[in-house]
Amino acid sequence: MNNLLYKEFKLSLHPTAWLFLPLAAMLLIPSYPYYVAFFYQTLGIFFIFLNGNTTNDLFFTTLLPIRKVDAVKARFITVMILELLQIFIAVPFALLRARINPGPNLAGMDANPALFGLVFVMFALFNIVFLPAFYKTGYKTGAPYILSSVVMFLFVAAAEAVIQLTPAIRQALDTLNPAYLPQQMAVLLGGILAYGLITLAAYRASARRFERLDL
Amino acid sequence: MRKNKTMTPVLSVTNLTKTYPAFQLKNVSFTLEPGKIMGFIGRNGAGKTTTIKSMLNLVHPDSGTMQFFGLDMPAREFEIKQRIAFIFGAANYYAQSKIKTITGVYRRFYHQWDERLYQTFLQRFALDPEKKIKQLSQGMSIKYALALALSHHAELLILDEPTSGLDPVSRDELLTIFENLVDQEGVSIFFSTHITSDLDKSADVITYIKEGEIFASQDKDRFVASYRLVEGCCADLPVELRARITGYHERRGEFSGLLRVEDAPLFATLRITPADLETIMVYTERRPA
Repeated sequence: MNNLLYKEFKLSLHPTAWLFLPLAAMLLIPSYPYYVAFFYQTLGIFFIFLNGNTTNDLFFTTLLPIRKVDAVKARFITVMILELLQIFIAVPFALLRARINPGPNLAGMDANPALFGLVFVMFALFNIVFLPAFYKTGYKTGAPYILSSVVMFLFVAAAEAVIQLTPAIRQALDTLNPAYLPQQMAVLLGGILAYGLITLAAYRASARRFERLDL
Repeated sequence: MRKNKTMTPVLSVTNLTKTYPAFQLKNVSFTLEPGKIMGFIGRNGAGKTTTIKSMLNLVHPDSGTMQFFGLDMPAREFEIKQRIAFIFGAANYYAQSKIKTITGVYRRFYHQWDERLYQTFLQRFALDPEKKIKQLSQGMSIKYALALALSHHAELLILDEPTSGLDPVSRDELLTIFENLVDQEGVSIFFSTHITSDLDKSADVITYIKEGEIFASQDKDRFVASYRLVEGCCADLPVELRARITGYHERRGEFSGLLRVEDAPLFATLRITPADLETIMVYTERRPA
């Protein structure tokens, strides 16, 4: 597996994946829908798959002495590394934003633990929609990406609607007030749990589909 | 090499069947003995690549069994792939990456990677490790794919069109390498091609696939010796004998066609010459005009 991960980072990764990581700094913008800073990384991941079609990545990989499912597993680990990096890099910017500008975000959720919980769910939805749809064919990237973007957008819109329109929830989650940290941490933990479970389901579905595929 | 009847075949394919909407692979069976070169021939679309992909578990056959070194594929896929090497034409992957980067990844996957051997291939093929794949000509790219495939002491090479795109000198060079691998290191080669003249020189066994079915799989010399090319004036050809000719072709009063060697005495008055693989394939595949 280490060899396959080495291959992923040496040959498969598209440079944009790295370029999007610093976009975590968008959390410093006073009022902004912060989900966008994370959404960019799904674009970086999409480019890995798109680029893979150009470089014959799957062809090279499946001919190596590996099991077919190992190729899927290595790609999943790569995707998760990028998503988690995107989140980790954003944390200091969220803290910095709270310190230098403690005012509320007028364009959506404040950059607090609950936001990160929702971002975990957003990434989980990307993983479950985009990845199994790609591994169904081994080459189609466009339609799965559009579909996953729509699902992510609907989730964010729904989450924001519920939070902003329900005063009690809004008071607890859309704030930098440390008094509500326990509630926000609960959302974060729930998001991490959902991310783990949904991504595992996405892996299982992708591996099963890819195994069945005639290349 | 001493003949040993109990020797395990390096490759044995039995009753391989795969149905596509517009094409079917039907009960494909053949066996490759150790230390032999098998030429796998057939026209475009006959099922060569589908057969190879099924062998490598890239395509799922509907039925049939594949064994490498007596081990079942795909159950022992991992182990088998360490011991074999394949080339599907040129190295047509990661066009923007350098040779040394790709090799740096590839070599990690093989326990038996031999860096010194790899370096000798780079030198012999005049490959510059700093070059990107996109800077290589078709021929150089095939040579790079070969250098990778030949550097981990594979016991069986599976080659799909390894010589198309190479100049005659490079082709000869390559065939010599293959012959040396077989003669000196006991490697076996499964060699799919439509350039049959490569096989005239080097193959021990011929497996001929036609419309998804194995038309013949036997010793090359015996296979070639079982045919004759017949040519002559149409006027000299007795009508009742015409049905015995395969791929009958007529132009300006002259005809040509393929015969089974046992029928040759019947045509004694006409010009009979030995057939080579290309002739056999062309006449066998020719459809009536």
